[in-house]
Amino acid sequence: MSITLTLRILRSRRDVMPHYETFEVSVSDAANVLDAIEQVWAHRDRKLMFRHACHHASCGTCAVRINGREKLPCIVPVADYSGKPLTIEPLRNFDIVGDLVVDMAKFFQNQQASDFVITRPTENELVGKPIAYTGGMDPESASTIPFNRFENCVECGICLSACPTMAGDHKFFGPAGLAAIKRQLDKTTDPVERKRLLELADGEHGVWRCHSAWECTEACPQQVFPAESIMALRKEITKKHFRELFGK
Amino acid sequence: MSLIPHVIVIGAGSTGSATAHDLALRGLRVTVLERGEIASGTTGRNHCLLHSGGRYCVNDKEGAIECIRENLILRRIMPHALELNDGLFVAVSDEDLAFKETFLAGCAECHIPAREIPVRQALEIEPFVNPDIRAAVQVPDGVFEPWRFCASFLATAIKNGAAVRNFTEVKDFIFQGHTVTGVTVLDHRTGETETLGADMVVNATGAWAGIIAAMAEVDVPVVPTAGVMVTIGERFNNMVINRMHLPHDGDIVVPIRNTSIIGTTSWRVTSPDAIEIPREQIDSMRQAGELLMPILKAGRQRGIMAVARPLISKANADARAFSRTFEAYNHRSQGAAGLVTISGGKTTTARGMAEKVSDIVCGELGIDAPCKTRTTPLVSYREFYN
Ligand SMILES: Cc1cc2nc3c(=O)[nH]c(=O)nc-3n(C[C@H](O)[C@H](O)[C@H](O)COP(=O)(O)OP(=O)(O)OC[C@H]3O[C@@H](n4cnc5c(N)ncnc54)[C@H](O)[C@@H]3O)c2cc1C
Ligand code: SF4
Repeated sequence: MSITLTLRILRSRRDVMPHYETFEVSVSDAANVLDAIEQVWAHRDRKLMFRHACHHASCGTCAVRINGREKLPCIVPVADYSGKPLTIEPLRNFDIVGDLVVDMAKFFQNQQASDFVITRPTENELVGKPIAYTGGMDPESASTIPFNRFENCVECGICLSACPTMAGDHKFFGPAGLAAIKRQLDKTTDPVERKRLLELADGEHGVWRCHSAWECTEACPQQVFPAESIMALRKEITKKHFRELFGK
Repeated sequence: MSLIPHVIVIGAGSTGSATAHDLALRGLRVTVLERGEIASGTTGRNHCLLHSGGRYCVNDKEGAIECIRENLILRRIMPHALELNDGLFVAVSDEDLAFKETFLAGCAECHIPAREIPVRQALEIEPFVNPDIRAAVQVPDGVFEPWRFCASFLATAIKNGAAVRNFTEVKDFIFQGHTVTGVTVLDHRTGETETLGADMVVNATGAWAGIIAAMAEVDVPVVPTAGVMVTIGERFNNMVINRMHLPHDGDIVVPIRNTSIIGTTSWRVTSPDAIEIPREQIDSMRQAGELLMPILKAGRQRGIMAVARPLISKANADARAFSRTFEAYNHRSQGAAGLVTISGGKTTTARGMAEKVSDIVCGELGIDAPCKTRTTPLVSYREFYN
């Protein structure tokens, strides 16, 4: 069955002041909000700028605010809003490129600062059931290579948009970047690298800036729990300072 | 004026991104033009399967051989954008079991490493696979994340001097006589129309290649053929689970991160933009997926998506019987010198496609520069923004 939906989209461009435009589109009742945005582009206005790629919450590109809440519209069913009009706005705390598109450059630089590797080794279980064997075939030799996974973080920027600290301090390293430092710290035992990572988190715009509003953890669509990572980093850094002050 | 030839690549899906990288590495000046976000065409919404070739080793050997060759190369050049957990082909019926020897022979013929594992062991590794399977064969399938796949190629191209302009739509070609000398674009960021000169233009717009070619009044026999995928919001398999038979609707479950994607179907569409999804396709595909993994029935549907394959029409064949391999067309003979199209193929074979079209571009420009993409590691996708 198809339903008619009203979308109020915040439009802007270098030469166009921000303003709302309202569109009506018809979508399947099984559609997600991203499908509705794409319908606006396909059938109403080909100039609409929005980001999208995978449509299954893996690429992290499509993040926007729907009725004031940060979401990945690719996994939010239109049915959740039972036909009510939707207001679609770009993420906050980023520069706007145009319409729903924000500039991710600074975000990705911070993600990269910790050399955060986007894959990790697989756990030995699937939905609570143990997996017997956790290595795969190396097609070029007879040996086994460990099974791996992508990290949970899809680098969507939602946590930065939801973060009240970010709103006050645009240089704040941001929840995702700090969570990335924590993940990278978990993956390395090299003392030099650990020291570098902790210093990165301890910087002027690092973990101590956070007001502990927990909005990031609340908004994150991927259960990354950035706020918890920030708290854990604070503990590690405090321990490090103690060790430096009082020896071992 | 720079003496280095300027090549425009239209489209930043897997094909255009890999082509930009190849040409930049050969020392050319490259500009990529993409009307939207990178990977917003077919590449983004595909099944994310880094093919081992197993899926094609019986009915499309040429395609299968390309897949395993490129699979091995991608493991070396972009390990950071891949989940490597292999694939399992499972026989669920007597017919599938009878197909096993043909399948294993196909793998051997295409040099795809394959090993049969006892059913009991297969079920220990994949506890949610249908317990009634009759046979299981492991192959080196993998999973890529499509946006990062493209961004890795583009980031490396940028490092080598390329310019990437997304949200910049090609509207027309500029000709001098029978030679394409540039394009007209609409930059959606500024709302302005511009013209850009080029020594060569590569049309890498996948399922849109016919539409773009028509702007230059040349033909490309690309038939947009849609496929649906259903995403389940939980990961129930570690490896890619394939049904051991000739490719069919709903016979593969690709896991990525914390989801499982069931795919896919195949039907012809007139336009590749914003494809409407027939409800019955979703239902029949979910049923086929549940045959492989009964637990999928209980899984929460997270999303549905559809995009069009750029299939090259070679005969009046059934949509699935088309070859999945790619074609490059030099449009010089059609009265559009300076324009080449590269279409068809798969994301898995993007690098090989790029090599082929870049060879043609260099040939046309009279440049003798060998392809170096087989051994050049890509930089992080994050550097796309640097
Ligand atoms: C359902 C389905 C599942 C698939 N699964 C897999 C898989 O698991 N593994 C695999 O390897 N392959 C898979 N494929 C095949 C693969 O996705 C495609 O072959 C591949 O993505 C094509 O890439 P491309 O770059 O040629 O085209 P596209 O990714 O479509 O790129 C073309 C680009 O051109 C742009 N464009 C169009 N018009 C213009 C214009 N006027 N100006 C500027 N830019 C323009 C578009 O926006 C688009 O981004 C699948 C295909 C389908 C349909
Ligand atoms: S931590 Fe969560 S909200 Fe933040 S970028 Fe990663 S996935 Fe998005």
